Amino acid sequence: MNRDLRIPGIIRGPEIHVTVNGRKITAFQGETLLAALTAAGMKTLGIGQSHDDTRGAVCGMGVCYQCLMTIDGQLDQRACMTVVHDGMTIETQGDLP
Amino acid sequence: MTLGIKCDTAIVGAGCAGVVAAHILADHGLDILVMDETPHTGGQSLRSLPWPQNPSIFTGLNRPGIRRLPGRIKTAPVPIMHRTQVIGIDGHLEILAEKNGKEIICITPQAVLLATGARETFVPFPGWTLPGVISTGAAQILMKGSGILPADNMVAAGLGPFLTAVSAEYLSNRGRLLSIADFGKMQGKLGMLTHGFHQFSKLLEGTRYLAKILGSKVPFHHQTMVLEATGTKELERVVLARVDNQGKIIAGTGKIYTTGCLAIGWGFAPNLELPLQAGCAILHDPELGGWVTAVNDAFESSIPGIFCAGEITGIAGASKSIIEGELAARGILEKLGREVDENRMAVLQRQRKHVLAFGAYFNRLHRVPDTVFCAIPDTVTICRCENITMGDIKTAVKKGYDTPALLKKALRCGMGFCQGRTCGPVINRILAAVTNRPAGDIPMLPVRMPVKPVSVRSFLQ
Amino acid sequence: MVSSWHADVVVIGAGIIGASVAWHLAKKKVDVLVLEKSDPCSGTSGACDGMVFLQSKKPGVHLALAMAGRNRFDTLEQELDADIALQCSGGIMAITSEAELTAVNWFVQEQNQAGLGVSLLDIRQARELAPCLSPNLPGATFCSLDARVNPIYLTLAFLEAAERCGTRVLSRTPVMGIGLKTDGIFVLDTPQKTIETRTIVNAAGVHAPKIGKMVGLDIPITPRRGQILVTGPMAPVLDQCLISAAYVAAKYDPAIAESGHMGISMEQTEAGNFLLGSTREFVGFDRSTTLTAVKHILAETTAIIPALQDASLMRTFAGLRPYTPDGLPILGRVPSLPGFIMAAGHEGDGIALSPVTGQLIAELITDGTTCINLTPFCLERFSNGAVS
Ligand SMILES: Cc1cc2nc3c(=O)[nH]c(=O)nc-3n(C[C@H](O)[C@H](O)[C@H](O)COP(=O)(O)OP(=O)(O)OC[C@H]3O[C@@H](n4cnc5c(N)ncnc54)[C@H](O)[C@@H]3O)c2cc1C
Ligand SMILES: Cc1cc2nc3c(=O)[nH]c(=O)nc-3n(C[C@H](O)[C@H](O)[C@H](O)COP(=O)(O)OP(=O)(O)OC[C@H]3O[C@@H](n4cnc5c(N)ncnc54)[C@H](O)[C@@H]3O)c2cc1C
Repeated sequence: MNRDLRIPGIIRGPEIHVTVNGRKITAFQGETLLAALTAAGMKTLGIGQSHDDTRGAVCGMGVCYQCLMTIDGQLDQRACMTVVHDGMTIETQGDLP
Repeated sequence: MTLGIKCDTAIVGAGCAGVVAAHILADHGLDILVMDETPHTGGQSLRSLPWPQNPSIFTGLNRPGIRRLPGRIKTAPVPIMHRTQVIGIDGHLEILAEKNGKEIICITPQAVLLATGARETFVPFPGWTLPGVISTGAAQILMKGSGILPADNMVAAGLGPFLTAVSAEYLSNRGRLLSIADFGKMQGKLGMLTHGFHQFSKLLEGTRYLAKILGSKVPFHHQTMVLEATGTKELERVVLARVDNQGKIIAGTGKIYTTGCLAIGWGFAPNLELPLQAGCAILHDPELGGWVTAVNDAFESSIPGIFCAGEITGIAGASKSIIEGELAARGILEKLGREVDENRMAVLQRQRKHVLAFGAYFNRLHRVPDTVFCAIPDTVTICRCENITMGDIKTAVKKGYDTPALLKKALRCGMGFCQGRTCGPVINRILAAVTNRPAGDIPMLPVRMPVKPVSVRSFLQ
Repeated sequence: MVSSWHADVVVIGAGIIGASVAWHLAKKKVDVLVLEKSDPCSGTSGACDGMVFLQSKKPGVHLALAMAGRNRFDTLEQELDADIALQCSGGIMAITSEAELTAVNWFVQEQNQAGLGVSLLDIRQARELAPCLSPNLPGATFCSLDARVNPIYLTLAFLEAAERCGTRVLSRTPVMGIGLKTDGIFVLDTPQKTIETRTIVNAAGVHAPKIGKMVGLDIPITPRRGQILVTGPMAPVLDQCLISAAYVAAKYDPAIAESGHMGISMEQTEAGNFLLGSTREFVGFDRSTTLTAVKHILAETTAIIPALQDASLMRTFAGLRPYTPDGLPILGRVPSLPGFIMAAGHEGDGIALSPVTGQLIAELITDGTTCINLTPFCLERFSNGAVS
């Protein structure tokens, strides 16, 4: 269940850390925030407009805007289009049910 | 102050089409600027890991013309402005873009090439808004762009060759694929042989994917689609069911898979927002994949000075984008008074004809029938941003709101953050299907600047 | 084949005015046919704000009409049996400079004398009402009667209610020409049908002059573009509708008019999006939006509500206000052409004035008299040289 989703045999950038809702997760410089969140097993990234359903990334390429998060204080950023940097702070928007 | 930049040609999109055009124009001494909203060069097909120490593994790069491209991208002498999203073009070819999510820049070129590529389309089903339901493209991007599996195990479903390609890639990376549900028929794949005479390399590629999948013993179901996805907060189960020859679900054929990830993809739709915003004429042709930008032989759109190439003039894959990138570049050179090599143009036009013929066959084969859109249950969310359901849409259509613009007014569908990118192509097909009109009778939603949301702060700089 | 139809009243234009007229007539069992050249609500009524703003109106006929109009909103949702997103939480006029404050002082006194309760607040009091306001503002005014609706929902609700009472609405049916037979019957040309009627209501908004021309009338309505910006959905912070005092204050202090500050408006919709508006430009029928306007509107609105800096700009659109030289709508019969009735030219008030306009025109047609004297709104006021 807890298998590492990072494909073995790939030379990655330096290991860094980002903080999601106060929880520290590992990431590698160069990868997108969506990739880092996926590797950390985090699928629920937000809520729907009616506030009673959960949402996660869909398109992964900047089209669907379902992965909007507050990144380094800036509202409504797409996790899939954001490249991580060390010390990045990320918050989910709205109260996840 | 808004930064102003002048150049000979501005290119929007650093995918195959944009990069090829950039090289040719740069070779002719033109001052060009390429913009792309992503941090990488290469667009959807030439996506690679951000860490250059790794060998490039591209999907389908054994095709002629493509093989040399990654090298050319790496040695590109042309300036590419990444993380720059173009948000509008006005009548005097003035381009507005947001750079680094921080500032608005303004570019005034003599000619513009739009090469904005395509996105995926879907057929919505119950539960498709659950976290864990992703697109086949997202699955591929995670693997190709960040070296990460989308999930430990998953089900893949949808229609078209991309489904097969992503399934094979996932297997190659040791993902545990539980099942593939292809809406198409097995015979469709065999039919490709007769149409692929000029496209030998593509066939070879398809065969390789098939071999990978068949060798893995993963259940590969044809004429099968997702009946529903369930789970309390995230995806937990997927139910697949068989469909008959009309595409209707056959009762009692449901099969349950327990998984936290479902990758779906039903083909591609061109990113027409910029051409539409700029006022370029579009045309509808199912063989080109639906609505596309209309261009002349020089790839100039109805707006003088705005050229279009790649998926936005018709869905047919990377080879067509590469050919058109070069053709459009030569069209621009001609427009700017440079000499062009007529022989080379003729060769390219011939090549294009062949890829178009193959593309037409593919698009016909992978056209989702109207019955499928009619059969979407009333409770299914269509517009994910505004939570508008199929039932809402059907009720509104009965009241006479029978165009995308009217539906947007009555229901707000398409008013959310994605600006109708996800639901737009679906709603056009639903409207055609439930009102029994040809898809070409349903206009596209009008588009205005900014074609993508921009941070307010950028305008305050 | 072109076939002929008949209707007691033909309303030209399915914007908010035509829709309201149709419903008010249909309620009175009048046989109405609405002709719309494209789709309902595709004109100005589909590209505007939805403010029912009283405190900014000039005392006199304008304010009187607006107040009569405002009263109608209290029961409208019930009468129409539809959700029109009516929000009656009052309106704020944000004062952005000391010069404006002086001018607004005068203005508030005049409004109160005219019978409209408007209070002048210091910034602390204003922020108690709307904490999102910038603490740097000198103050604000508040009027509890100001309200807002979703103009699109209201237009469609008028039309749907009219259709339930038997009104026929023909979309994608432009009126291309109008003939007049000797017996006083108008013959309207459309690509699909020829329509005969004794009564025409010209509710074609900015296109009303074109309809006028078909019957030899000169109607002084010109398009005045307003650009509006839409932000992404945000947590609810603003209940009231809000305008800046610059526009009103400019009428009292010419220096303000020259300062370049334009009147801006802001409202937060039920979905959380902000509508930020709007420009006032004479650029013909051009409905495009411009970078200059976007920057200008964002600079002014973020100075009033700083939290907007965190928002995303999601969309822009522009509508064409049907502007008249004196800022009042053109309503009522045209003496030279009995049977031809004007209901257009509401400039920036068409949403607020839609219920009362529909009511008055319906009274005029069915009773021959109206509860508000229409003389100040007649078309002849322009030909008499009364207005420059
Ligand atoms: C998710 C996905 C995955 C795909 N994977 C493959 C594959 O593996 N192999 C394959 O052969 N084909 C693949 N395709 C098909 C692909 O469309 C074509 O092969 C080829 O990439 C098309 O080239 P293009 O230049 O027309 O567009 P693209 O390669 O899509 O390039 C368009 C570029 O424009 C940029 N862009 C778009 N709008 C803006 C804007 N407003 N501002 C700035 N930049 C903008 C995009 O970021 C993108 O980089 C894929 C398509 C999709 C949608
Ligand atoms: C930016 C902006 C903000 C505004 N904000 C507010 C506000 O907050 N509050 C407020 O009260 N008002 C506001 N307004 C003003 C309000 O929107 C207008 O006064 C109102 O919408 C006018 O309605 P209408 O029905 O007269 O015109 P329209 O809505 O334009 O309707 C006219 C209709 O006639 C049709 N037509 C034209 N020619 C023909 C023909 N030949 N045959 C058939 N049909 C035809 C058109 O297609 C159109 O649908 C605003 C306007 C703008 C532009």
